[in-house]
Amino acid sequence: MENKTVTMAHGAGGKQTSELIDQVFKAHFANNDLTADDAAVLVPPAGRMAVSTDGFIVSPAFFPGGNIGKLSICGTVNDLACMGAKPLYLTCAFVIEEGFPMDKLEEIAAAMEKTAKEAGVHIVSGDTKVAGKGQVDGIFITTTGMGEIEEGVTVGGELAKPGDAIIVTGDIGRHGCTILLEREDFGIDADVTSDCAPLWKTVKAVMDTTHNLHVIRDATRGGVGTVLYEIAGQSSVGIRLNAEAVPVRPEVKGVCGMLGLEPLYLACEGRLVIMAPKEEAEGIVETLKKCPYSADAAIIGEVIAEEPGRVIMETEIGTQALLPQPGGELLPRIC
Amino acid sequence: MCVGLSAKVVKISNGTAVIDAGGAKREVSSQLLEDLEPGDYVMVHAGVAIAKITDEDDSETEQLMEEFL
Amino acid sequence: MKTAREIIENYDGPDVRIMEVCGTHTHEIFRLGIRKLLPKQVELISGPGCPVCVTPVSFIDEAIYLALEKGVTICTFGDLVRVPGTNMSLAGAREQGAKIHVVYSPADAEKYAGEHPDEQVTFLSVGFETTTPAGCLSVKAAREDGLDNYSILVANKTMPQAYEALKDSADVFLYPGHVNAITGTRLCEALTEEGVSGVVAGFTAKELMTALAVALVKFQEGKPFFVNCYPRVVTQDGSREAQLLVDEMMEACDCEWRGLGVIPKSGMKLRQEWQEFDARLKYQMPKIEGKPNPACRCGDVLQGKCKPSDCKVFGKGCTPQHPIGACMVSGEGACSAYYQYS
Repeated sequence: MENKTVTMAHGAGGKQTSELIDQVFKAHFANNDLTADDAAVLVPPAGRMAVSTDGFIVSPAFFPGGNIGKLSICGTVNDLACMGAKPLYLTCAFVIEEGFPMDKLEEIAAAMEKTAKEAGVHIVSGDTKVAGKGQVDGIFITTTGMGEIEEGVTVGGELAKPGDAIIVTGDIGRHGCTILLEREDFGIDADVTSDCAPLWKTVKAVMDTTHNLHVIRDATRGGVGTVLYEIAGQSSVGIRLNAEAVPVRPEVKGVCGMLGLEPLYLACEGRLVIMAPKEEAEGIVETLKKCPYSADAAIIGEVIAEEPGRVIMETEIGTQALLPQPGGELLPRIC
Repeated sequence: MCVGLSAKVVKISNGTAVIDAGGAKREVSSQLLEDLEPGDYVMVHAGVAIAKITDEDDSETEQLMEEFL
Repeated sequence: MKTAREIIENYDGPDVRIMEVCGTHTHEIFRLGIRKLLPKQVELISGPGCPVCVTPVSFIDEAIYLALEKGVTICTFGDLVRVPGTNMSLAGAREQGAKIHVVYSPADAEKYAGEHPDEQVTFLSVGFETTTPAGCLSVKAAREDGLDNYSILVANKTMPQAYEALKDSADVFLYPGHVNAITGTRLCEALTEEGVSGVVAGFTAKELMTALAVALVKFQEGKPFFVNCYPRVVTQDGSREAQLLVDEMMEACDCEWRGLGVIPKSGMKLRQEWQEFDARLKYQMPKIEGKPNPACRCGDVLQGKCKPSDCKVFGKGCTPQHPIGACMVSGEGACSAYYQYS
């Protein structure tokens, strides 16, 4: 392509728009279902279908462990997977800031291609708009996914039952920690990479182990702590959390220590919280440990009938205390 | 009132120290502490090493218990 | 030998009010569920040791004045961003276009000023003896680096005057370990002569439990006492370097504490030799009278005169998401801790 950056002309619908689509997006997203027409024509799945949409803005758009392109596929694929749905189709809409470097756009498209392939999902339709300088921060991506729900599996945030074990599929808080360190200038040097990963195959492996599952949720914004409070509320149950069992990398702990943050509230992009009857828990964890993104899976607590809507932590001195409710903006504190 | 982080000193140069907490490193001021050496543990607050840590809390509290309780 | 926990749980002595002066102690006590272990006679009062909580409304108003009226870039600890001023918080000012830059250290604010010579940069210097040296070091660095676009808005405070002001509110102080790391322990030892008792406490679960146990055992002996229960960090002398630095650059002044009013000689300001870095002088700050929300009882909470739950707006108009008073803003504010953990 001649241009080194995205220009307003790329969004005007003419020759340059076609060029951009052909040379960047089509080159990467090519598959039988990808349309050149106004809408993709698809064969609907036989069973129930899950549909999910998500907008992605992340500053910076490139971070250790991924970029906004990878994130935009993982986010939507994981939302589908959390309903027990195999991701089939995906649409994506780009809003790109005028002047955005073409090689960076290429890199984003390549990451989307790779991640979509891994997740087994076809990108079937897309849209590109270019916004004037300063109207967006680099690039925004919205993806919508459609998936087929595996028969015999019904999961949802309102289905947690007292006696369920709570499993987290890996160490927490890495995405949030990575972005915080990249975005802000805290002068902290830590080897932390985002956990961003597509999790359909992980969910599939768990469903192949047992269909006796109650809740699967991906802990994104707000982290695992927020997910636990959401489910405690939706299912009107209490949650007993064994704080020491929650896997956290030492570097993430170190960063949190410096900035006065709680890892339970840092975002993840490749971690699931699974609730299932206690007797299934060991089997699920064993399966998870064999999957590529969940080698550190652990049982971190249980669902209880008491204290509905609350998350109770077992503390290191053997007392019980409430996990503080998730707050607003994550602000590093000094005092 | 003051979040303190206990961290290990890995490097000293000219009024600054690089400290390490679980692999998270940061340059902090070491101007408030004399004779700091790599390997020392310090309490860090707002980017300044405010005190040398001379013991583990285990043995510290054990000694207090023996003395007072 | 009994464990600290057994001593605390089985305390059968006279009624005792223990004031944890430091907000981080308040936070840890809640996080660890320690209150639930205490017998009826033991009352824990959350004191004024959260710099955010005692920062008066007018200080936030001053910062917002600099940001919005003078176009100054404000560098601040994250804690202050959501503290309500008379009309808005710094977060509110940011929505109106103010440049608010959150930093981990005052040194980072000075560095930011060096890297942005076209901006005027002011660091909001709050905190007690522990934090004050960091602010001083940043000013020193600014002079060495020849910066003329860096200043600090000082609201630093010192604790001894607060102990005096609060000595009737508590029987035993749990002294703030990291303040004592700087100041040493002589002053607290001397306070026993005025009948003021206390222990210096550390911050791990073991340290807090041990300090409480020691306080309860010593209290039953009936004499004023002082024990340093954090000797691995706190020495009798503290940091001489820190004391000399602050003394060289700052002097005491009368100072307003949110809720406690003006306490004579409890604040700090830059000495004359450093005045070019004093944001109030640099920008000819007008006198700003902050108006706190009249329903808010943070002041009474800070003095241990009432519990957060006694305040009418607690948990209703005032929550961590929409704080009215400063004690609800800071993670270590008494109201925030009560709200989040109970």
